[in-house]
Amino acid sequence: MNIDVRDSGSVKVVAVDGRLDTTNYNELEAVVNKLINEGVKDVVFDLSALEYISSSGLRVMLLTLKKTGAAGGKLILCNMKEGIREIFEISGFTTIFTIMPDMNDALNQF
Amino acid sequence: MTGHKLRIKSQVSELERIALFLEELGDLYGLSMKVVMNLNLVLEELVTNTIFYSFKDSNDHFIEIHADADDEKIRIIIEDDGEPFDPTAKGTPESLGKPIEEQQIGGLGIHLVKNLMDSFTYERVDDKNRVYLIKNR
Repeated sequence: MNIDVRDSGSVKVVAVDGRLDTTNYNELEAVVNKLINEGVKDVVFDLSALEYISSSGLRVMLLTLKKTGAAGGKLILCNMKEGIREIFEISGFTTIFTIMPDMNDALNQF
Repeated sequence: MTGHKLRIKSQVSELERIALFLEELGDLYGLSMKVVMNLNLVLEELVTNTIFYSFKDSNDHFIEIHADADDEKIRIIIEDDGEPFDPTAKGTPESLGKPIEEQQIGGLGIHLVKNLMDSFTYERVDDKNRVYLIKNR
């Protein structure tokens, strides 16, 4: 897995590439915790290169959604591949997450 | 049991070997990337549960994965010598489909297994847990 964080105005764009699973979900959790501790409220997860997610990864996504919400901000997901979307659908996550088709649409949510 | 076999230690770091095993299986049988990803997810969920919850002593334990495929189905068996545990008996998470405030962290793994596989059964044989999975191609 590779995690890349960049700024888009006051929004943090976090690109999560590769595989997000039991062996590495804590790396993403650490990045999210650091951002929240720094006062970041609004986050976009760019999932264009996310190839695989397991329930450990879904838990980090849910934690991020709760933490950004508690901070008065938002988490938007974008560029999700079909296989990942299916996992979100089975998990009932498509109704609780805001999932946008691309980055422009994601940034327009703020 | 025929087909292909992978024997891993009961450690999270071994999950990588499962991914490689399934990629090889996918190449060998011409499985789609989606099927390989779904099989990987299902094995990760089940094996992770076994690693974290099945072994009460501090001895070394191993988990065996047997896989076989034909034109119609992929069959997988997971076997461990841990405490008796039937993962198929777990129900749907209560928080599924509920608003974010009611979402629980956890409980999703087995729900994913049930939805991604066409058959998911369990038996206790010779003091071992055996999980049988079938995925239609």
